[in-house]
Amino acid sequence: MNNERPSYLREIFETKEIELNMGPQHPATHGVYRAILTLDGERIVGLNSVIGYLHRGIEKWAEYRTYKQATPIFDRLDYLSAVINCHGYVGAVEKLLGVEIPKKAEYIRVICDELQRLASHLIWLGTHALDIGAMSVLFYAIREREAVVDLLEAQLGQRLLNNAYPIGGVRFDFPKGWVEVCRKFLKVFKGKIDDYEELLTGNRIWRQRTIGVGYISREDAIAWGLSGPTLRASNVFFDVRKSIPYSAYPDFDFEIPLGQNGDVYDRYLCRIKEMRQSVRIIEQALDGMPEGELKAKVSPIIRPPVGEAYFTVEGSKGQLGFYIISDGKEKPYRVHIKSPSFINLQGLDVMSRHQLIADMVALIGSIDIVLGEVDR
Amino acid sequence: MMSYVYDLMKTPFVLALIKIVILLVVAFTVIAYITLVERRLLGFFQSRLGPNRVGPLGLIQPIADGVKLFIKEDTVPIHSNSLLFRIAPIFTFFPSLVGFGVLTFALPWITPASKMHLFALADVDLGVLLVLSLSSLGIFGLMLGGYASGSKYPYFGGLRACSQMLSYEVPLTLSIITVVMMANSFRLSDIVTAQQTHRLYFFIPLIISFVIYLICMIAETNRTPFDLPEGESEIIGFHTEYSGMRFGFYYVGEYTNVVFLSMLAPALFLGGYDIPFVNDIALWQVYPQLISILGFCSYAIKSVLFAYFYIWVRATFPRYRYDQLLKIGWLVLLPISLVNLFIVAGIKLFLLK
Repeated sequence: MNNERPSYLREIFETKEIELNMGPQHPATHGVYRAILTLDGERIVGLNSVIGYLHRGIEKWAEYRTYKQATPIFDRLDYLSAVINCHGYVGAVEKLLGVEIPKKAEYIRVICDELQRLASHLIWLGTHALDIGAMSVLFYAIREREAVVDLLEAQLGQRLLNNAYPIGGVRFDFPKGWVEVCRKFLKVFKGKIDDYEELLTGNRIWRQRTIGVGYISREDAIAWGLSGPTLRASNVFFDVRKSIPYSAYPDFDFEIPLGQNGDVYDRYLCRIKEMRQSVRIIEQALDGMPEGELKAKVSPIIRPPVGEAYFTVEGSKGQLGFYIISDGKEKPYRVHIKSPSFINLQGLDVMSRHQLIADMVALIGSIDIVLGEVDR
Repeated sequence: MMSYVYDLMKTPFVLALIKIVILLVVAFTVIAYITLVERRLLGFFQSRLGPNRVGPLGLIQPIADGVKLFIKEDTVPIHSNSLLFRIAPIFTFFPSLVGFGVLTFALPWITPASKMHLFALADVDLGVLLVLSLSSLGIFGLMLGGYASGSKYPYFGGLRACSQMLSYEVPLTLSIITVVMMANSFRLSDIVTAQQTHRLYFFIPLIISFVIYLICMIAETNRTPFDLPEGESEIIGFHTEYSGMRFGFYYVGEYTNVVFLSMLAPALFLGGYDIPFVNDIALWQVYPQLISILGFCSYAIKSVLFAYFYIWVRATFPRYRYDQLLKIGWLVLLPISLVNLFIVAGIKLFLLK
């Protein structure tokens, strides 16, 4: 039909796709992620992800440091969950060394990890809600995160990039009165999660903005190698804490929340439920805290035997793996990081097909990327 | 000399000029301070303080903001259509400012010197229509600003603003028309007088119109949950390329609209300057000045309620999506307001004969 029109009319009525550059300075890309969108009106027909703006060469950098010196570098991966990153790296070195960690240290690690997960999920909740336009939730979430970060500071000495664990255990026992403060916080926090849910879960606008948006099927989610809540929202049971148990996690009774539809709303629900489970884990760990050593005997200069080890933890974004090759020297021969944000980000292409620009914002929020981890 | 000035004051032209100046000063002050009130209130909603550093309770903050905007560099992008780019902000700002002129703020203050109405500038007999057409003019500012910027984000913002305001204008007008039908007049003071004589505020019989008005007034002013044209986390907005006072014009224009629509709403639905539970007109004949002042206060309080509603909604709700917004406008609000219009017309024709 188009061809029957005179050429000057064809020029007027011809619609064409435009390219929109979203990021790296876009407020909703959570850092320096850049997406080149091909748009048909407001509908996305193509997505080209550009990453690497925050590349600091962490993997290479680690090769020039001794095993101990390399520990704080990995805090800079996902700077919102530094404790869990540290657990991953330290766990890999311990596996390489074949060290048995005291039970008490494992419990303290689990508590700190789960607190960090809460902090990370709270930041996610606030920014995700802000992207969709609910600005108040951000401030409520930050308020509770502040309490969590205070707890971590009291235990680990730092607020954000807390070089959390030494190789072989933990540095300190909990300070005096810490356990009571923590219990009190957890009690209050359960009510706060209800508050967030009251603002969002049943909210008509929130549901319209998230249900059915950014769908990824079970098969696609597995095929793209997604992990964490992004995968579990597509109804796949995979959580490193249950599937490949590590640390003291087998001791605790907790559930892995699963979604049904694999949309933004389910990812949101998954994370909210995960926060409740984290509270459960921390409470159980505080109750069942064993007595004993804080640190296993590890020689001051760490020279692991020649070999390789892969250790994976459930990060706040998904499965975080550390693969270390040792050539018997003081420095690692190679450290490879399987970072969940990087892999989850690949799913964005599938999720964003035929969505609107506004959905793109909700989607990036729902995957919960941290660019420090994507670019490494 | 004094008597000459006094005589001059009595001439309608000079009196009107004085009233214009007073109205502008008051309106600007209110508009400037609603930004502060909004930020403070949002602070309290969100368990933080809000701006409280400049002056006591942050009271000088709006002036500081204004000065900052004025001394900023005024950039005009190379790819923009520079003429349109320069004049577009004025289109959002001035039409809504003109709207204040047709409002009546209180019952006439009968002075021995002048029989003129002191609390109304231009109570024209097609006031409602004038208001509606002025608010339609405001669209041009957003549309032209978005188009003239010569950049993709503002372009999307302008498109969104245009379609959103056009589609919400229709239900807004239809809901206001029901008020006009009840009052039998387009004149805003007549609408208030009708509510005073019936001793019934229109939001009770016209509850559907009232709710539609509340929704549409938020959409008309592009505020949460309908703040798509400037959805800052999605497309930054139609004013992405603007800086300095040109941006300030958009900013102030938005708040002018907010203040104006919050002042229009009481006149249409809450009896305007009527003092609740009191027979105003009877009392006014005895104490004209007192009732006039009290009525003005009552009007102010009602307007503040609406302004508070704006801010409250902004603190609570997420943002709608573009297609959902248009769907609500055309498929929900428009049919409801049309049916509502027919029902009110039927009642008016057959029952209130």
